[in-house]
Amino acid sequence: MEKVTITLNGQQIETTTDKTVLQTALDNGIHIPHYCYHPGLSIAGNCRMCLVEIEGIPKLQISCNTFCRDGMVVHSTNDRVRKAVRQVLEFLLINHPLDCPVCDQAGECWLQIYYMTVGQYDSRFTGNKVIKHKKATPIGKWVMLDQERCITCSRCVRFTREISKTNEMVIFNRGDHCEINTYPGRELENRYSANIMDICPVGALTCRDFRFKCRVWYLESADSICPSCARGCNIVIHHNPHRPHKRNGARVMRLKPRYNPEVNKWWLCDDGRYNYRFIDQGRLRHCSVLSPTGREQLYLDEGLRRLAELLRQTPPRQTLLLLSAHSSNEEAFAARRLFDQSLGCLCKLPDEGVFTGDQDDFLIREDKHPNTNGVLRIFGWQTSDLLPMADLLDFVAQKNIKVLLVNRHELSADILGQLDQLECRLVYLGTNVTPAAEAAYLAVPLATFAEKEGTFTNCDGRVQKFSPAFLALGDAAPEWEIYSRLAQHLGLEQAFPSAAEVFEQLRTGNPFFQKLEFHEIGAFGELGAP
Amino acid sequence: MELTVNLKSRLDEIKRKFPFAFSSVLPAIHAVQEEFGYIPLEIEPAVARYLAVPQERIREVTTFYFMFNNRSVGKYHIYLCSNVSCWLRNYESILAYLEKKLNISAGETTPDGRFTISLVECLGMCEQAPVMQINGISYGDLTPEKIDRILDNLD
Repeated sequence: MEKVTITLNGQQIETTTDKTVLQTALDNGIHIPHYCYHPGLSIAGNCRMCLVEIEGIPKLQISCNTFCRDGMVVHSTNDRVRKAVRQVLEFLLINHPLDCPVCDQAGECWLQIYYMTVGQYDSRFTGNKVIKHKKATPIGKWVMLDQERCITCSRCVRFTREISKTNEMVIFNRGDHCEINTYPGRELENRYSANIMDICPVGALTCRDFRFKCRVWYLESADSICPSCARGCNIVIHHNPHRPHKRNGARVMRLKPRYNPEVNKWWLCDDGRYNYRFIDQGRLRHCSVLSPTGREQLYLDEGLRRLAELLRQTPPRQTLLLLSAHSSNEEAFAARRLFDQSLGCLCKLPDEGVFTGDQDDFLIREDKHPNTNGVLRIFGWQTSDLLPMADLLDFVAQKNIKVLLVNRHELSADILGQLDQLECRLVYLGTNVTPAAEAAYLAVPLATFAEKEGTFTNCDGRVQKFSPAFLALGDAAPEWEIYSRLAQHLGLEQAFPSAAEVFEQLRTGNPFFQKLEFHEIGAFGELGAP
Repeated sequence: MELTVNLKSRLDEIKRKFPFAFSSVLPAIHAVQEEFGYIPLEIEPAVARYLAVPQERIREVTTFYFMFNNRSVGKYHIYLCSNVSCWLRNYESILAYLEKKLNISAGETTPDGRFTISLVECLGMCEQAPVMQINGISYGDLTPEKIDRILDNLD
């Protein structure tokens, strides 16, 4: 690898010999049209869209597979190149059906984009289009295949060969007969399968979950972090704030991976991608208290006043807070400040969903929480300090716990019954209506990760920031806000006004977070102190 | 469907010749075709397992190349060239004669399983057009009489 300078469209660009012309151009904000090239996959060089003129070479070259040399003079926008690229596009579109109005890719389709930027020709084709197999064939749990829209760029084939290493997708036949498909009788069956419809530049592979839910131009997006395992893959929440009458008021339409070279690169597992329904469905919206006539709905402040009363009546060492590793760093810190340090309650993090054994050597981690690492570091614990869920009842009995605050954890009917027998009052703080929320003396609604700002610390100690996509439903709020109000009712001088300010309080006392600055944590997150 | 002993030894031989498993796919498929006359879909998983490549890669190669048969063909597989030189020399009349003589059309196999006619592209013997090839042996300057002679001499 050696440093060289090339001239691209008259602009001097410094690059290295291990980079291709296309990579160099993209890195410098110059877009050269391409379909088959994907930075995460091997180079195929089969779509021919990235043709450029290189002085000294008589024929046009594909920039995706031409490596930079010193003094190279490249033109990507002159008439000769534009004409050639337009003709390549004309060939790619020659058998393409004109079904954009009913195609789910419309609006984020690179055929449409390049037709508008470099195409804009009138079709010269007078023959009959070659029509491939029937439309909309499901090839797996999440992916729908429309062969006739395919331009055989082979990105999906390379993905299943190189990234998921499962080899399901293949190009069968040759020439204008060629088609992508799975092996006869075999399904697209891997835990990263939905990525192939992300990388499909056209409408050949679409998402069975997202199909026809929403036109992509209605979507708004918010950068976030996947909460489904300790990897903390970077995601974008696509939501639809403008048309709540569609889809029964559901706000989140889909989750998409967001590029982070240090964590998930361009990819996201299916488990994380499709774990978003809890944000809109079955939400706990209001405080409620168990009364002789059933559950009684309360204003948030009235609920918190009763909680404060309960905490005042109970000796702190007989109050146990079961923390959640779904809480952000700021929330865990606020919990520690209020419950552990000010009130002197017992705090424990249960091991539920931490050692599931379900992990692979790519993205999926066995710990199904986004922030176990962060909570442990904030409380200064090791994984050995986790409270085994099986020992919960023993712990409650042994310590004579009279108030159990449960943050998001699911408790079985058996445990709920036993708690009743032990005369332990259950207070449930959570995002969704669960059996525990319905059995609890007091239920307090919390905001989901999509409704609040904060940071998670992933399994590698990377602190990553997520931003709210929309407001929380009902009275739900981030934990630090709940705890802040609770502190007021308890008459304490403690305030957690915003995620940024809680983070500021957190980092002053914790060497792991000390070097980090909330507003300076960028799109790729930052590593805490080793 | 399982591999025959003969095929296994052929595949062993092929595997020894190549440094990467995937390189051996093409010769291996040739060996399968010699054994069965075509590539049965059911044998592909067994071949793939034996070569330690994904079965998808076998299917990909068999469907890419025209000369691998995806279904059973006759004992004598007649390739008749339909490319430019043979077309100029009127291969269509030869095809019509063949179809009439064997009572099948191009792409079909005779009911007794002896003959299959396939139309192919250039066989590389344009100077002798029209040309056909039967099981790898080429015949040029075809006339109806010559076709009678050739086919009658086959057992």
